[in-house]
Formats: sequence, C-alpha cells, structure tokens
Amino acid sequence: MSRKYELVYVVSPEASDEQVADLHKQVEAIVQRIGGSIEKTDNWGRRKLAYEIGRHKEGTYVVEVIDGGGELMKEIDRRLKVTDLVIRHLIVRVDEEQGVVERTRARRTESSRRRRVARGLPPDRQPGEGQRGEVDDDRDDRFDMGEELR
Amino acid sequence: MNGKKSFGGGGRGKTSSNQQGKDGQRRPMFRRRKVCKFCADKIDDINYKDVRMLMPFVPERAKVLPRRISGTCALHQRKLRTAIMRARQLALIPYTTE
Repeated sequence: MSRKYELVYVVSPEASDEQVADLHKQVEAIVQRIGGSIEKTDNWGRRKLAYEIGRHKEGTYVVEVIDGGGELMKEIDRRLKVTDLVIRHLIVRVDEEQGVVERTRARRTESSRRRRVARGLPPDRQPGEGQRGEVDDDRDDRFDMGEELR
Repeated sequence: MNGKKSFGGGGRGKTSSNQQGKDGQRRPMFRRRKVCKFCADKIDDINYKDVRMLMPFVPERAKVLPRRISGTCALHQRKLRTAIMRARQLALIPYTTE
C-alpha cells in the first residue's frame, strides 16, 4: 500500500542554485532506489525565516510530494539530518488527511444538492443566484436576539 | 465595600457592587455571536504551508489565538494548532517574539 508524504526542507542561504538542484537529485535518487515516485516538486525560492536558525536569517524552501513507504521516508529523514546544507526539514504523511478532506467535501456538495432538489431547484447552483446565504443569516440573527434576552 | 475597592480588585469589583445589581440584568453587554471562520468559509484543509491563512490566528506575541476570542470550533482549532506547530518548525511562523 502506497502512502503519500510531503517533505519540506530548508536549505542554507549560502547554497548555490546548483547545490539546491543537487540536493533534489539526491532525494530523487533515494526515492528511486528504494521504490517510490516524486509526484510534485515546488521550489519556493529564498524566504526570510521567522526566527534565526543557527546564524541563518533566510533559507530556500523546497517542497516535494512523494509516493512511497515508511522505510523510504526514514532513509530520506536520516540523510537530510546528516546533510549540513539542510538547516530544517519536515516530513508529513498527507494521504489520510487528504482522503478525509475529499470525503467531507463530497458529503457537503451531496447534501446541498439534496436540499436544493427538495426545495424544487436544480441540483447545482445557477449563475444568476446571488442571495442564497440569506436564509442562514436570518437564523443567525434570531440566535443573537435570544442571547440578548437572556 | 469601600475597603475592598481600594485593594486592587480594580474595575471588576466596582462593577459587581454598583452596576450588576440592577443595571447589569437590564442591559447586558451586546456581543456578536462568533462563528468559526473555517466552518463559515468551508475551508476543510488547514495547511501548514499557507502562512497567509494562519497569520490572523497568531497574534503579536506569536501565541495561538484562543478559541474564546477567535470563535473557532473545537475541531478546527485542533487542526489549526497542528498546522501552526508545523509551520513553526519550518520557521514560517515564529515561536516567540523577543
């Protein structure tokens, strides 16, 4: 069963672009060696750090989305820990979270469609409809009054 | 009563003895009902990489804004907290200020 992980690492500001690219290649090599795939790579470029790490005030952020097993991530974690050029890194498993997000989103659209059909409207929102939120707002106001009276 | 007032009980003691007896019940402070921002905007995914979204919940001292102030629901406050902790580790958000 394949899992999906997100890896973010912060490279020291002294590193040149080639060194950053080199680091990416190293990660790629590990991924290929142990069996997995890189789904996406995103270089945020140089960013100011919120606090100093060592004596660094900025760093280059690289995000990679990796498909693979726990052993693979363990190896990457170990390698990044010993790499001096990487000043901070974080590995997060994202597949479960993503599944939950997708399910809630699907459930919400589903239930809103059902409600719309029950009200005799077409299941999807029409482009001209603007005032849909009003009913909800009204109920909120009444709630406010109730609290005021108490 | 006066003796009590002079001991730094502050404004609080004053209100309880003078106002709340009669006025307090007639005119309670009007408070807007707070709504969880994430529920209202239907944001399901509180991501640690989205600093712009997290920043309003990290006030000046870089602490996590409490639920009683932001009005965030328990579920989303929990997710927000993990997101902030992750962002802090990556130096996207400070742990403290000075």
